[in-house]
Amino acid sequence: MTDTNIQTVPENTTENKPEFSKEERSYFRRKAVTDRVWPFFRTLILIGLSFVILYPLIYMVSCTFRERGDMNDPTVMWIPRHYTLDVLKETVQAMDFWNTLKNTLILNIGCSLVQIISCAITGYGFARFSFKGKKLLFGIVIMMILVPPQVISLPLYSQFRFFGIGDLTVNLIDSMATMYLPALTANGIRAGLMILIFRQFFRGLPRELEDAAYIDGCGPLRTFIQVMAPNAASAFLTVFLFSVVWYWNDYYVSSTFFTNTRTIALMLQNLDTELKVRLFNSATADVSPREQIVWKEAGCLISITPILIMYVCLQKYFTEGIERSGIVS
Amino acid sequence: MSENKQKSPRRRLSYQRRKALYGYGFLSLWMIGTLIFFLIPLVKSLCYSFSEVSVGTGRMVTEFVGLDKYEYVLTEDGKYTDLLKSTLLETLWKTPLILIFSLFVAVMLNQKFRGRTLARAVFFLPVIIATGPVYAIISGDMSSTGNSGAEQFSTMFSTDLVGKLLRFLGIYGISDKMSGMISAVADNIFGIVWSAGIQILLFLAALQTIPSTAREAAQVEGATAWEYFWKITFPCVSPYILANLIFTIIDSFTSPTNAVMKRIHDMGEDWRFGEASAMAWVYFAVVMAAIVVITLIINKMIYYEVE
Repeated sequence: MTDTNIQTVPENTTENKPEFSKEERSYFRRKAVTDRVWPFFRTLILIGLSFVILYPLIYMVSCTFRERGDMNDPTVMWIPRHYTLDVLKETVQAMDFWNTLKNTLILNIGCSLVQIISCAITGYGFARFSFKGKKLLFGIVIMMILVPPQVISLPLYSQFRFFGIGDLTVNLIDSMATMYLPALTANGIRAGLMILIFRQFFRGLPRELEDAAYIDGCGPLRTFIQVMAPNAASAFLTVFLFSVVWYWNDYYVSSTFFTNTRTIALMLQNLDTELKVRLFNSATADVSPREQIVWKEAGCLISITPILIMYVCLQKYFTEGIERSGIVS
Repeated sequence: MSENKQKSPRRRLSYQRRKALYGYGFLSLWMIGTLIFFLIPLVKSLCYSFSEVSVGTGRMVTEFVGLDKYEYVLTEDGKYTDLLKSTLLETLWKTPLILIFSLFVAVMLNQKFRGRTLARAVFFLPVIIATGPVYAIISGDMSSTGNSGAEQFSTMFSTDLVGKLLRFLGIYGISDKMSGMISAVADNIFGIVWSAGIQILLFLAALQTIPSTAREAAQVEGATAWEYFWKITFPCVSPYILANLIFTIIDSFTSPTNAVMKRIHDMGEDWRFGEASAMAWVYFAVVMAAIVVITLIINKMIYYEVE
């Protein structure tokens, strides 16, 4: 401890015997104390806050595997008295989990893939080309981030309901096109943010990369596909993961456009009524709200499990990716 | 030589024009999409807010009624203004708390200790869940369906512990307002921690831009950790505070779990498009005004390294 301190304060020391002034000694004393005490407090604070974050997850697991009667038992808080898998099975059934999961995955991964490609192209256009009206167009991108989806969701609904020109209209409500079409044209969920991220990222890449490609006679599109895109692989992955998460979690947009198409988020919203119909044969069955919690929590658990697994496996792409992709600047 | 001189401006122009064309080419897909899925709906929604909307055959029928809908929303629909006020207030006091909290956590997570990666993973976890319906259930619906979930959690902590702690410190009786504020914070710690994931990450990235030489220099000069934070960390991070602030505000204003958003959604479900659009626009105007004011204030206080 003191050794390093001596090295960092060379002016006031003689060759062999360091002589500190009173203030310096008290500084080192204080520093030594904080160095020893602070890690302890840090651990305490971090564990406490981690508990706040993990608490609902632990509670979910605890609820999922207990019988509903345990909810009325005041002695049961964390550890169930009666273990059962029935609740889990019933919830999986009520949510039609496997089909819903398949639906959701097709929708999510498809939309996310299409969306990152279209957003990357747009972002690249903003990053590397100068043309008239660029500022105005970029202003629109910022607007896309700022305008809440609620503002435009109603007109969008009527637009999808009567999609087409003049009298030639089709009803797109309830079809996956309501998700795919915006994603395809870089207008899906949080597309503005993605365009911004890609723009920042491509601006950060060295210009020499493209110049070399241009000199070799590549067109801009080929340059983008063969030179720029491979360099942006990590950015693509990060944005893709976020996109999947956002599509997975979305229930506002999908509840506006879907009435029968089932996604995990929507099924979770409707779990209440679905369960009552299935388990008690009537939509208005009287089950105490405390007891309903077990199914709700079970529903939560199975709806976040897939995304949680993805997060655990690809954790570093989530956290490091954001730092690296230049979203901050 | 002279030939070259004559040629070069023309060639440069054509090259630039070609590049501009390519630029439009790259943006064309997005421009089409934005026109159909963003700009037209935006204008339409503005129109809706000034008219009576009904569903006709083949399209929506609108009838211009002027400012009626706005008047209705702001004066007759008693619920809406209350919701708007409470949402605004909540965002106003929660946002600084979220920022302070996330900066604090980011400073901690930026230090070197064992299990740092795990801690980061845990603190970032809410981002995965907090945008979805699961969060709505664990934070909001739980409290309405019974004394469980988030509410049980916060009562478990706040009412007893915070009160006791305050009494222990001898500051319980000092002022009602203050102890009320402290327990409000404690009640909402769940919401704050759960909405700070991205902010923590952004601050972490900002902290890593501070050169390690700054720390060494500070140590040579004998700065305490407290001085180091205010003299070095804080000025370096301050440009990111604005970005984070705006992000936090937009995030809380546009989250589907907030009360105004729910109300607008319900109005839409009732097919009252005119009222819903008017509500959405009033809301949007208020949010934009808030962001502009805050940006102006903060911009004056920020330290920029290079202008």
